[in-house]
Amino acid sequence: MNNAPTQITLEEWDERYEQLRRAGLREPGYGGPLGRHVGDGDRRLLKLRYDNSVASLRLWNFLLTEEDRLHNARAEGKRIVGTMKDLGTVPVMAYSLDNVVAFYPDGAWWIPCVMELSAGLLETADSLGIDESFCPVRAMLGAFVTGAHFPIPDQLVCSVGATCDDFSAIAQRLNGLGYPILWWEIPHRRHPEPNEAAVRLPGGFCAPKRQVEFVKSELERVRAALEGLAGQRLDDKKLSAGIQKANEVRSYLAELRQVTFTAKVCPLPALEMLIAEMLAIHFCSDREETISVLKELIDEVKTRVQAGRGVLGADAARIFWVNPVADLQVMNLLEDCGGRICGTEYLFSHALDTIPEDLPPAEALARMALADPMVGSSVDRAERICADIRRFGSEAVLISRIPGASHCALEGEVIAEVVQSRLKVPVLEIEVPPVTDSIRPTLGTRLEALIETVKERRKR
Amino acid sequence: MKTIIYTCPYVPAEWIAAHGLRPSRIMPGAAGSTSPVGRTEGVCPYIRGFVNEVIRNTQASGVVVTTVCDQMRRAFDIIMRRCELPAFLMNVPSTWQSVAAHKLYLDELRRLGEFLVRLGGKSPSSRALAKVMLEYDTARTSVLTTRGYLTSSQYSELIAEFNRDGKSGITTTINEKKPFTGGIPLAIIGGPLLREDFGIFDVVENSGGCIVLDATETGERGMCAHFDLRRLRDEPLIELSNAYFGSIPDAFRRPNNQLYNWLKRELACREVRGIIFWRYIWCDIWHAELHRLKQWANLPVLDVDVSGDEQALTVRTIQRIHAFLEVLQ
Repeated sequence: MNNAPTQITLEEWDERYEQLRRAGLREPGYGGPLGRHVGDGDRRLLKLRYDNSVASLRLWNFLLTEEDRLHNARAEGKRIVGTMKDLGTVPVMAYSLDNVVAFYPDGAWWIPCVMELSAGLLETADSLGIDESFCPVRAMLGAFVTGAHFPIPDQLVCSVGATCDDFSAIAQRLNGLGYPILWWEIPHRRHPEPNEAAVRLPGGFCAPKRQVEFVKSELERVRAALEGLAGQRLDDKKLSAGIQKANEVRSYLAELRQVTFTAKVCPLPALEMLIAEMLAIHFCSDREETISVLKELIDEVKTRVQAGRGVLGADAARIFWVNPVADLQVMNLLEDCGGRICGTEYLFSHALDTIPEDLPPAEALARMALADPMVGSSVDRAERICADIRRFGSEAVLISRIPGASHCALEGEVIAEVVQSRLKVPVLEIEVPPVTDSIRPTLGTRLEALIETVKERRKR
Repeated sequence: MKTIIYTCPYVPAEWIAAHGLRPSRIMPGAAGSTSPVGRTEGVCPYIRGFVNEVIRNTQASGVVVTTVCDQMRRAFDIIMRRCELPAFLMNVPSTWQSVAAHKLYLDELRRLGEFLVRLGGKSPSSRALAKVMLEYDTARTSVLTTRGYLTSSQYSELIAEFNRDGKSGITTTINEKKPFTGGIPLAIIGGPLLREDFGIFDVVENSGGCIVLDATETGERGMCAHFDLRRLRDEPLIELSNAYFGSIPDAFRRPNNQLYNWLKRELACREVRGIIFWRYIWCDIWHAELHRLKQWANLPVLDVDVSGDEQALTVRTIQRIHAFLEVLQ
């Protein structure tokens, strides 16, 4: 059996799976051949290329069995929280309770891609007046109405204020359909006024102390709701323990990112890295297992780096990627065109930063929530991107617009201006719909142009 | 007197005026192809018009932008990078049912006050603020009492004039008018209107209708509540906050049932027979309400999506309005 790092198709994975199994592969309960998920309708899987490590097999199986875990949690009598938009804050609270699981219904935005539009979620959203002028997260509305993709949560919690209009509008539409929502306010993070008490946030941003206090009071409302749902107290001790666990996840991710993005040869493909990062926001509905999955990935990556082996050529252009893609296949496409990911800002960098453990836990979470790159100005977000570009040595920035998303129309211009003026690296914007098959040649041409530019610049 | 421009109804003119500055709630024109916002796809035409207006404005001493929509919040970044005009971004909470949200709004008014002082304004005493509020309240009442005595176009332009210029020159042309009647009563509901959009009122009248409820942001819906005189005397800033943040209904609020409660009352008391739903393409906040409104209103609703081109009222839009009124005859 060839164990050299490489990317393989789903069919190849299933053959490899059999070989591994015969060789004594040990897997968690959710393990199995990846090909079986196609039977659930996940047809896009047939068109992706995957890392061939056992660690990645576990990652994929963990991701693709989340729905089962949620149903099992309900069957066990656990309460389910649908936490929306904040990307990383409320789940830390929810998982501090032993009888609550939390997930993001927002994640339904990938269903049209994974099921190649066969689930009809976008059509359902259309029928409710939420058409293609909205971000693909509108698929969430369809998922609620059909009830076919995740159990309907016992409690919905949604952050509003400094959030994108698409999501806020869609959540309000959901509310109008009879799903009660606990709304909590996240204000636009502003710079402190002269002489105003200020606080340093995780990730390096600064915010007025009174904004932190306000967010803390909002999170206290969320805490009270979670206590009511769970029928138990969520005291500071439990919350602190929950923060420590979340930080464990974050520290493994930080290590994974650092090792992968700075390695001379790319040790783990973009797609697996994207999924690994996604685990940070709600632990894929199992916090402990998230830690185990990440540990195994880090071990694999470190082994590869030490051996000087990887999945791509050593000359791959080092790209910093901004915003998540609606079509996962585009991450493969970047690599086909000669690029690799060295730095990301997938809208939730705050979910990767360490939460302060030397503060009262509610304040620590408030600081983290305010560190969300999307609640401040696009200039702030661009500054953070610049800092990470320096850290990871990225050679170009790719801004991936989300079709219809309210923030994408204006932020790209600002981010590009700031990055180019500070670092003089090339920046390219592309737009990625849920299924890119029809525009793949165009996208490929644009990506190739960026990568050629990077490689030309190396010669100077 | 220095002028402070803004466009959001949650910015109280009284607060700016009480600082000794001139508030002017501007009504932007369509940006056309000359907007400093580089992109057009995905950008709300109103935002483009607003940014254009701010950047080209040579009279203003400052601009106040708010967070009521994501693109407006991000337009602040563009304004800060494209022009020298001092700019202030005011946090207007989306939630409104908690004491904390009201307190945040009040804090933002105080912070706005500090910005105004930095521009040369003077922090007002409670008494001075109360006096200005009373003057505006009187003027606002005068505007509202003209409803029914003016054509819908004249009435909405009067509101726009009040917003732009404050209390000047409002009551002079009204008293001799006779009640204006006739036409199928319609409501227009949506976000703010651009200058070019005002032709809609005449188009409706020429087609046999009459807009009896201007529930756009630039119309009656965007006006604050009448002040309570006792509270105005005792705690004017809090009363100002209540009348604006506590009373103006809008689609962006979460939850936004306050908007539907307001519409229910106003549609009924004005015997509205049809609704023109006026929305800009790429405005998610209002677009998402269309379907719900259709289900809720029990009235015919005409969806008019506007691209914000300089020719706002296209032949297609005019013909659709004609047809809509024909159906309602």
